[in-house]
Amino acid sequence: MIEIRGLVKRYGARLAVAGIDLVVPRGRIFGLLGHNGAGKSTTIGCLLGHLFPDGGALRVGGVDALAERRRALARVGAIFETPAFYDYLSGYRNLRIFAECTAPVSDARLMEVAGIVGLADRIRDRVGKYSHGMRQRLALGQALLPDPELLIVDEPTDGLDPEGIHEIRSLLLRLNREHGLTLLLSSHLLSEVELLCTDIAVMREGRVLYSGPMADLPRTEGWIVLRADPPGRAADLLLGRGWLEERRGEDRFRLRAGVSVADAVGAAVADGLRVEAAHPIEMTLEEFYLQTVHGGGDA
Amino acid sequence: MLRRLYANELLKLVARKRSHIGFGAFVALEVAFLALLHLPRVRAAIEKLLTRNGLPVEQYFSGTTVAVMIVALTILFLGALFIALVAGDIVAKEAEDGTLRMLLCRPVARPELLAAKALACATYSCALILFIGASALAMGMAYRGWGSLFVFSPAEGVFAFHAPWPGLGRYALAMLTLALTTQTFTAVGFMFSCFNMKPAAATILTLSACFIDLLLRMTPYFESIREWFLTHHMAVWIHVFEPHVPWARIAEATVFLLAWDLTFVAVGIAHFMRRDIRG
Repeated sequence: MIEIRGLVKRYGARLAVAGIDLVVPRGRIFGLLGHNGAGKSTTIGCLLGHLFPDGGALRVGGVDALAERRRALARVGAIFETPAFYDYLSGYRNLRIFAECTAPVSDARLMEVAGIVGLADRIRDRVGKYSHGMRQRLALGQALLPDPELLIVDEPTDGLDPEGIHEIRSLLLRLNREHGLTLLLSSHLLSEVELLCTDIAVMREGRVLYSGPMADLPRTEGWIVLRADPPGRAADLLLGRGWLEERRGEDRFRLRAGVSVADAVGAAVADGLRVEAAHPIEMTLEEFYLQTVHGGGDA
Repeated sequence: MLRRLYANELLKLVARKRSHIGFGAFVALEVAFLALLHLPRVRAAIEKLLTRNGLPVEQYFSGTTVAVMIVALTILFLGALFIALVAGDIVAKEAEDGTLRMLLCRPVARPELLAAKALACATYSCALILFIGASALAMGMAYRGWGSLFVFSPAEGVFAFHAPWPGLGRYALAMLTLALTTQTFTAVGFMFSCFNMKPAAATILTLSACFIDLLLRMTPYFESIREWFLTHHMAVWIHVFEPHVPWARIAEATVFLLAWDLTFVAVGIAHFMRRDIRG
């Protein structure tokens, strides 16, 4: 759905995006992670044509977004962290103004979308009277008009209460599941990304350090839990076999490359130990992110 | 697409309170001007001017005469101010508020969006000038009633008097000319609004540019190059009241200003086309 090749963007002497490559497959929920200034918003800005890149190629839905911006963005919706509206106009009029920059939109479709985002009964009110949560839902509504295939979302749950966060998350998941919408999401909330995304990319200082499906995250790094009775015997056993690289406490071990949990359990059972628990230790997304960002290497 | 964008820009202008300030301010100013005219000393001065030129006061101190006086004394300062307020805001305010970024997420071409904004600004300026003309006439009529028209502008060298109906026709033509020529304020304001600056800065720069032009034009040192100043051509509306309408001069001024208007708009759009819109 999105293909970015060698994207470069400079702000004066500062290199904001340093020749990144990124592919967002159709129908996926793709999370863009990184600290402030990592280059996420710049990448999104270049995609939407707000910023002019200094180099590289951008394709949306197979269309060159730099040469044919109008065609590339014809079925793209976007939401920002702090959505801006014409506060002196109604929600309805705001939706119409934004949607009509893409194509004419029928009243029925407009009201349908107002219903989807839960604003049907307040859509004729002035936006100036809306709460933050309502503005966020209106932002989602305008992004869904007229009928996007790709939604670019920058901090969609920022400033919302837990209920609001849950609502927006459920809505985004439903749109992806039921309508096949592709989502490109930029967020600082790693727990949200973990709950929403099928794929992620981690950025730092304008570079992509990791990009791939969540399912393929290299999370274990060889650490396992092996709790056996009698305590302490498992460590001796693993050490004796030359499988132990590192140890934390009685039951946490980092195994040599190529040795699996099954190997360790098999050896323990064969040695007459009673195995109470055995599983790989998985990093949370937060741990993975911090390790990737502070490790500094390309994953 | 342009038609839709233009309609939406007009809708935004109409819905904003700020757009109506100019209309309200002019009505207030017209009332204040009438109060001033009511002062014995001011009335005496006008009556003296008419009688000295052999014109019957009751016939020539009329609604249309008062309307021309109101427009001539206020348009350059207040008209420029309110047009600059709206034109200076049209892009810069949306950039500041973030709505421009929202609009530009859409597959709309920047020149098209800016063209719609420029057209909406031009429409607003026309509406404001015509409103000023109509309300000044209504106030004048209410105060002095129907009658002949007397116009005296020493700065522009215009001294003219007309019978009631031809006078009214000239007044209408003058307002149309004024609506056309004041588009230069709009174009300058629009250009500054397209630059990366706060809306207030765009408004102040617009007003400064217009007043500097006016002051330089009035400076004797620049007498020989008066024709190069914008405000010199913008004052052509008062010449509509001359005994014979100087069509050639009006056409020349209009074309001169139109060329500048297009240049200002083009400079604004060209700058905006290369501008990064950041959040």
